[in-house]
Amino acid sequence: MDTAVEKKTGKKDYKKLILEGFISHVLEHGKEPTSIFKFAKDLKIKESDFYNYFTSFESIKTSIWVALFDETLRQLEEQEVYKEYAVREKFLSFLFTWVEELKKNRSYLLSLYGDKVATFKKLPGDTREFKEKFSDFASELIMEGKETQEIATRPLLTEKYDEALWLQVAFVFRYWLDDTSPRFEKTDAAIEKSVNFAFDLMGKSALDSFLDFAKFLYQTK
Amino acid sequence: MSDKVKEQGSIPVSKVQRAAKFISTGAKVGGNYVKHYAKKMVNPALNREELHQNNASDIYNSLSELKGSALKVAQMMSMDKNLLPRAYQDKFSMAQYTAPPLSYPLVVKTFQKHFQKTPEQLFDTFSRSAINAASIGQVHQATQGVKTFAVKIQYPGVGDSVSSDLKLVKPIALRLLNMNEQELNHYMQEVEERLLEETDYTLEIKRSREISESCSTIPNLRFPKYYDSLSSDRIITMDWLEGKHIKEWMETNPSQVQRNRIGQALWDFYHHQVHNLKQVHADPHPGNFIIQEDGTLGIIDFGCVKVIPEDFYKGYFSLIKKDLLIKEEELNQIFYDLEFISDKDSEEEKNYFKSIFSEMITLLGTPFHVEKFDFSNNEFFNEIFQLGDRIANDKMFKKSNQARGSRHGLYVNRTYFGIYNLLNQLKAEIVTTKPDWLI
Repeated sequence: MDTAVEKKTGKKDYKKLILEGFISHVLEHGKEPTSIFKFAKDLKIKESDFYNYFTSFESIKTSIWVALFDETLRQLEEQEVYKEYAVREKFLSFLFTWVEELKKNRSYLLSLYGDKVATFKKLPGDTREFKEKFSDFASELIMEGKETQEIATRPLLTEKYDEALWLQVAFVFRYWLDDTSPRFEKTDAAIEKSVNFAFDLMGKSALDSFLDFAKFLYQTK
Repeated sequence: MSDKVKEQGSIPVSKVQRAAKFISTGAKVGGNYVKHYAKKMVNPALNREELHQNNASDIYNSLSELKGSALKVAQMMSMDKNLLPRAYQDKFSMAQYTAPPLSYPLVVKTFQKHFQKTPEQLFDTFSRSAINAASIGQVHQATQGVKTFAVKIQYPGVGDSVSSDLKLVKPIALRLLNMNEQELNHYMQEVEERLLEETDYTLEIKRSREISESCSTIPNLRFPKYYDSLSSDRIITMDWLEGKHIKEWMETNPSQVQRNRIGQALWDFYHHQVHNLKQVHADPHPGNFIIQEDGTLGIIDFGCVKVIPEDFYKGYFSLIKKDLLIKEEELNQIFYDLEFISDKDSEEEKNYFKSIFSEMITLLGTPFHVEKFDFSNNEFFNEIFQLGDRIANDKMFKKSNQARGSRHGLYVNRTYFGIYNLLNQLKAEIVTTKPDWLI
């Protein structure tokens, strides 16, 4: 995580300072700072300097999510074998790597999102930018999947697939937060099984043949 | 219900889904019974063979979609040939070879967790897909320089699902094995212990070493070497043994001498374990034996090892003494000790079960009562099946709701049925040795 943050904020020290300050505040107090004024004071910077980089705590959290995502992609690209993967495996690999990244920041994430009710309220706001980036990534995967025939093209439905993959990311996150098995093995199993299930649904199945057949009967009657 | 092994789509996720899977199997099996009896009303000559066939397919299809212990139970049921009618066996034998694979990204992840390295970084080559699927793991082939390795990787979370899987199997096992709940619980605990041990790869390596070192003097056996630096509690790396499974090997028409040699090696291997080590490789299914080019028998997978308690050992093997059946007193005592009969039985039950078990023992002990036994003799096996069938269908036997037989017997029996079965496949003639104290 540290390296990720560094990469994003290499230009100025302030940005890094604020991000790290925020994370350590959450780690030590179990919650966000009470106000930007107080937070800036603790960091010994001017409040106005803070606004040069972030507009709110939410925007800090957003950039942490994005950093996690960027770092995951970076690691995926480092793996030689990743390019050879089929789409299903690429997505699996993404989730496995992402969860590893999450693990490095588990305490921080637990403090902010451990409470179920809070998660529903907070997640959409905090992860908006992450979601946008993820959607780009997912759309690419889906395109590739359609080319390789791993994913069946279905009118209307196919455009929603990136949404479906996003839901899966949210599911894995929630599952992982609650996971108490050693080495988070159950999360691994959950990822494996849920991705297989999702891709089986997206792939060509009996349902497509059935619809095709039904259409044929309807049209030729 | 095609005969082809269906490609695995998805693995049922939660316990609820797993349960649903089992329930649908239960329902189907129930449906098969209904169908059977409906057909039978029309055609009284219909035999149960067809019913068993339908049941076996449904159960297999359902079990094979669940990894882990459920599959293990399927394997186990396929071993106990005496308990299952033939149609079940054929279907279940498939479970011994085929299981749905894990994705490669998960394999990579498992490696990273345990070694902080990817398989490609550790080995020169590493097969992307599994070469072989074991019930709780899968095997990949890897190379490093000139050496070839078999790398076994465990499915994540298998250990946790053992207990809940067994609970799910129970209703099916009850119906299939014609047992009642009390009886089954008696054995389930034993099964659970073994299965949990099997998920402990560190223990498996330790035992593999111990047993293979102790058996190294037996001729014509080969054991793989195990590599600690490339193993962890979820990954085992060992030598790759090149060769054929018994079935494939038999297709190459080996001579009687070759077959006897392999068979004898197998017999000696078990003789040494049972009588000298008192702990035994209790998973003699065909996939664990590899016959190599040079005519030696390679043995892998020491996941399931049964330690035989001393008092059980004495009682159990006293039964193969030939003249024993005459000495009524001694026999009664052994039957009590091995929990075949108990004080809860009525006099009538006692006599009935004593006669049944004596008959079984005489039959199953036959190979021990001669110097050399020809295992190609199908007549012998048919007699065992018939006796099994007859007992299973006997009203008196069904009525009794007591557990019969010590729980330790479960794996020891299974081991012996396994060996007999393998030797039968090999059509081998064996010098059936006995420990000194029994001669």
